[in-house]
Amino acid sequence: MRRQLRSRRAPVFPHSYRYRLDDQDEVNQNYLADEEEEAEEEARVMVVPNLEEEEEEEEEEEEVKEEEEKDEEEGQGQPTGNTWWRKLQIMNEYLWDPEKRMSLARTGQSWSLILVIYFFFYASLAAVITLCMYTLFLTIGPYMPTFTERVKPPGVMIRPFAHSLNFNFNVSEPDTWQHYVISLNGFLQGYNDSLQEEMNVDCPPGQYFIQDGNEDEDKKACQFKRSFLKNCSGLEDPTFGYSTGQPCILLKMNRIVGFRPELGDPVKVSCKVQRGDENDIRSINYYPESASFDLRYYPYYGKMTHVNYTSPLVAMHFTDVVKNQAVPVQCQLKGKGIINDVINDRFVGRVIFTLNIET
Amino acid sequence: MGQKTPRIYSVELNGAKDMKQTDKGDGKDKYRGLQDNCLELGKNQRKEHLTKEIDLDDHKLSNKELETKYHTNIVTGLSSTQAAELLARDGPNALSPPKETPEIIKFLKQMVGGFSILLWAGAILCWIAYGIQYSNDKSSSLDNVYLGTVLALVVILTGIFAYYQEAKSTNIMASFSKMIPQQALVIRDSEKKIIPAEQLVVGDIVEIKGGDQIPADIRLLFAQGCKVDNSSLTGESEPQSRSCEFTHDDPLETKNIGFYSTTCLEGTATGMVINTGDRTIIGQIASLASGVGNEKTPIAIEIQHFVHIVAGVAISIGVLFFIIAVSMKYRVLDSIIFLIGIIVANVPEGLLATVTVTLSLTAKRMAKKNCLVKNLEAVETLGSTSIICSDKTGTLTQNRMTVAHLWFDNQIFMADTSEDQLKQTFDQSSGTWASLSKIIALCNRAEFRPGQERVPIMKRVVVGDASETALLKFSEVVLGDVMEIRKRNHKVAEIPFNSTNKFQLSIHKTDDPIDKRFLMVMKGAPEKVLEKCSTIMVNGQEQPLNNSTAEAFYTAYMELGGLGERVLGFCHLYLPADEFPETYSFDVDAMNFPMSDFCFVGLLSMIDPPRSTVPDAITKCRSAGIKVIMVTGDHPITAKAIAKSVGIISANSETVEDIAKRLNIAVEQVNKQDAKAAVVTGTELKDMSEDQLDEVLTSYPEIVFARTSPQQKLIIVEGCQRQDAVVAVTGDGVNDSPALKKADIGIAMGIAGSDAAKNAADMVLLDDNFASIVTGVEEGRLIFDNLKKTIAYTLTKNIAELCPFLIYIIVGVPLPLGTITILFIDLGTDIVPSIALAYEKAESDIMNRKPRHKKKDRLVNEPLVVYSYLHIGIMQSLGAFLVYFTVYAQEGFRPSTLINLRVEWEKDSVNNLEDSYGQEWTRYQRKYLEWTGYTAFFIGIMVQQIADLIIRKTRRNSIFQQGLFRNKVIWVGIASQIIIALILSYGLGSITALNFTMLRSPQRQMLLLVVTIQASVLVCGCAPRHSHLGVR
Repeated sequence: MRRQLRSRRAPVFPHSYRYRLDDQDEVNQNYLADEEEEAEEEARVMVVPNLEEEEEEEEEEEEVKEEEEKDEEEGQGQPTGNTWWRKLQIMNEYLWDPEKRMSLARTGQSWSLILVIYFFFYASLAAVITLCMYTLFLTIGPYMPTFTERVKPPGVMIRPFAHSLNFNFNVSEPDTWQHYVISLNGFLQGYNDSLQEEMNVDCPPGQYFIQDGNEDEDKKACQFKRSFLKNCSGLEDPTFGYSTGQPCILLKMNRIVGFRPELGDPVKVSCKVQRGDENDIRSINYYPESASFDLRYYPYYGKMTHVNYTSPLVAMHFTDVVKNQAVPVQCQLKGKGIINDVINDRFVGRVIFTLNIET
Repeated sequence: MGQKTPRIYSVELNGAKDMKQTDKGDGKDKYRGLQDNCLELGKNQRKEHLTKEIDLDDHKLSNKELETKYHTNIVTGLSSTQAAELLARDGPNALSPPKETPEIIKFLKQMVGGFSILLWAGAILCWIAYGIQYSNDKSSSLDNVYLGTVLALVVILTGIFAYYQEAKSTNIMASFSKMIPQQALVIRDSEKKIIPAEQLVVGDIVEIKGGDQIPADIRLLFAQGCKVDNSSLTGESEPQSRSCEFTHDDPLETKNIGFYSTTCLEGTATGMVINTGDRTIIGQIASLASGVGNEKTPIAIEIQHFVHIVAGVAISIGVLFFIIAVSMKYRVLDSIIFLIGIIVANVPEGLLATVTVTLSLTAKRMAKKNCLVKNLEAVETLGSTSIICSDKTGTLTQNRMTVAHLWFDNQIFMADTSEDQLKQTFDQSSGTWASLSKIIALCNRAEFRPGQERVPIMKRVVVGDASETALLKFSEVVLGDVMEIRKRNHKVAEIPFNSTNKFQLSIHKTDDPIDKRFLMVMKGAPEKVLEKCSTIMVNGQEQPLNNSTAEAFYTAYMELGGLGERVLGFCHLYLPADEFPETYSFDVDAMNFPMSDFCFVGLLSMIDPPRSTVPDAITKCRSAGIKVIMVTGDHPITAKAIAKSVGIISANSETVEDIAKRLNIAVEQVNKQDAKAAVVTGTELKDMSEDQLDEVLTSYPEIVFARTSPQQKLIIVEGCQRQDAVVAVTGDGVNDSPALKKADIGIAMGIAGSDAAKNAADMVLLDDNFASIVTGVEEGRLIFDNLKKTIAYTLTKNIAELCPFLIYIIVGVPLPLGTITILFIDLGTDIVPSIALAYEKAESDIMNRKPRHKKKDRLVNEPLVVYSYLHIGIMQSLGAFLVYFTVYAQEGFRPSTLINLRVEWEKDSVNNLEDSYGQEWTRYQRKYLEWTGYTAFFIGIMVQQIADLIIRKTRRNSIFQQGLFRNKVIWVGIASQIIIALILSYGLGSITALNFTMLRSPQRQMLLLVVTIQASVLVCGCAPRHSHLGVR
């Protein structure tokens, strides 16, 4: 194939013809030597045969390509002004050679062969990796995570959602706080008493709700009713106190599979002014009044089996806050096994937000 | 040896612009470098000026014509005003120093070469990205600033490293300037004045005496016993006499020209300045040497090529994914950060430094073998050398005359010409030999310096000229204590050798107490000696000299002469005791003794014999596919003889002339294709066109160039380079420096070489031995093979570093591998192993294959890239992803959850992101997990790179053939990899900027280990152990 290629092109570059012949012999010799070597190696190492063929193909491709490069270079070296046109021609011929029915110096057969080989190569690679992956994942149960120390200690989240945790609103302008109300309402839909009563069980407070049995058994969940939140439930005051300048903010602890607060010492929530005058917040009401997450909501068994699990909430009702000024508030979780002073993570065991209530 | 380690390491890894120009092969640009030169000549003129022979005809002119030409007067000299005018016109008589590139430019060049531009772009993009982030959100993380700073640091440190290397490079002009004489005695306004030599102008009449340096090129007008040492110019070390007669057409050969910067050894002379400053012969050579631009070394070209490939891949993938990212509705800022990541992943930051270190390791190794490498890249150049243009004297030969053949009793005997000459094995029983040896010992003025009894004979210092030294040593070896013999045979009279007589004669009392006759011994040019003989000694008996014996003499003479040897004839005469009693007083001037009827004893021929290691080295070169061409200033016959004896012209090949002689036909009738060898003289070369020279170079595998001038050496080198050959040139004189500079690799002789030659060369042979070159070639080839391994090793992980970004962009998983972590792989764990590959031993006999073809056998070729990127690289990334997914799954994020999680994952406001188990993660917890992922991915790549290292050990052989433990440094490399990885994942876990976290759980490590070993076994197992992929 290459031989023909050369002799056909030779008249175009007569000045380099002699070279070409010299080179060719050399190349052929090398080529023969390689084939011998290859044969030896085949006997010696026993490699998958398709890889072998593939390599041969590649080598051929490479040689032909280099020929092309050389041609191009020589084209460039020609003093005639037509070099660009000639280059283009060569390029074109390289891309699609109608005479030999070759594209990129390969025949259709060669191309399909190489594609098939690569297909098999990658397919077998994918198969092996999939197998590995499958075996690995057999060691990782779908119900319980293997490790939990990265997600412990629990983080904290508050509702309603506020951009960069700044609660800015004007009591007299409902537009400024309406979205908080909508957000809270939406969030509390899952806590509706009717829904909770229908789905979940009422379990005894003050103790873990431990459900033994197989990992894959469905677990029951304890009720957390919206009504537990009293004034912040939105049932009595549909504006969650925003219309009176006494906003409710709900605090939720991040779920962690298997997390258990200290027995008899539930996790408590306490809020205070983060920086500045402590008297900026004169009173906060917590609902449930214990300001704690009851032990019955723990442990969490993971979402596969603990489908209806309802995260317990603590609502903070800021009933008397200084108006018309930004008040930074920090709410912390307190309890054993709770960390609330990680420097880099401002959401582990605490949350900081600002209240700026205008009248 | 220790303190003589290579001083100048310089790797030029950039300079793309130069490259392009050279590649175009545009002949007009060839002398680009000359533009820097101070000669105010046009480009084309300068080209002529370079390659044409020195155009000087002042030596042919008579004194009168000279006076008119230079408007001067031989007696009164120039007038001061004239001189001032001429000085203003021509400038001072000094070599102009080459224009120096300012240091800061050199430094900046290093800062922007190679991959630096890409990395700078990355760093700047990082800062821009941070700037944009900061303007949007004052609390944005400093990650991008760190990254940008690290990138900039990498570039700056690499740049400083490279600059430091280059700063040590040579300054050619320095050694020339040392040669400039300070003062000159000149006649101006009819007065003798001493002026600084710099103020000499054309037409000045100067006087020189023994010991002076000649202040400019001068045409001698008067000389008395003047001898000059032209060695700095021509390489010939014998003093040459100077007179005012025009003796040769060639200005370099004629006796009435004295050259600038050469030394006048003895005598006095007056001369007219005909050329000053840069226009002097030495000035022209100096400008040739500095004008011949430093050609890019093959390895620099290869690295350039490699940089282009990698940069091409980096930029095209980067831009492609930038477009993809933008069209996938990513923010432009994010897309830019992706772009940076892709560039960083693709660029092997540590590779160029690794290559430099690898080269310098080899350079050190070569220095131990007496090849001092000045320019690091030359290490490899020697390996790809396909033509060696070797000087004869000193390189191929021992550079001392030695007795090679003897002829007596109608027989030619061979003498031992090896370096140590312990014994001479020819038949010494004949009576003729007894007489001959006596003549050799007695008719000799050379003496050993006293106090050298313990020194081997061949190494003793001798006072006397080269031939006499050879004879003295020869007789010392054969006869024993020559001084004692001379003492016993007291010398009563002597006529020393001179060029008119062409013989040397001495008269001795013999040591035979009975025989009271005087013995007269004579040696000299054979034909002169024979003239004085009437008898010839055969087997110890005197026989009358008749036609047949004379014919035998001539045959032997021609034969020895044909071997290129210097032949001497020896004869003696016992003076009859009655005519010359013991008390007879001999008068050499009156010649009161007979000068005919001598008895011819024998012939003896001497040659500067080849070094004993050379023929073997030449054979090695042959089998390594390297063509050795001899280029010498010596006579064609001698050159050819030496060429034959060392194998440059092999035993069974003939030149056209040989064939003509054998077939007894005219030279023109010989079919040129029958001749394998050619001896081309400088005169023939002068008349050849470029094409003719090319034809000579291509059609004869064995070529000797004799009687060549410096310019012709340059032409020959250029001719070889036109054949796409990588040319090595050896040389020692100033005259060789342009060719040394022009050659792909110039090799200077460490002992015999002049400073200029050493400065122009890339390599210095400390032992002046050609065989050292062969060692160098071997090392060079080995380093090329090993560099290929290093690059293959380094490139492989690029895909594993790149894939995380691509998957991150396309699939939207949390980023598997951070940019800084990539830098830790490239500049941390991978550095020592990739250097360790340089210690790999040769796989097969690398001296049995052809030199690599400059344009075909690339350092980085398609199979290597395909194999590294698409085979091993893909496997590596799959393995690393396996680890990545495992870590995430163990922590709670199963792969199905990860897909398209990116946006939520990276939102700072989302602090309760749910994983596959329903657990909720804060942003920082996720970030920490992400770093754990980085660490896991990093460990994954690291472990697989260990496997990769082991499979890269070999290219052709299987690992077991090559031996797992032969290269101990590999294991040091592996240990360093593991230690660095451990330090990074355990020791620095708390530094957030590094993005490493501890992999704490023992279980996880077990698992990781299992997975990675599994993956590496996979890599090993699947890796096709083949010569084709990645090895060409």
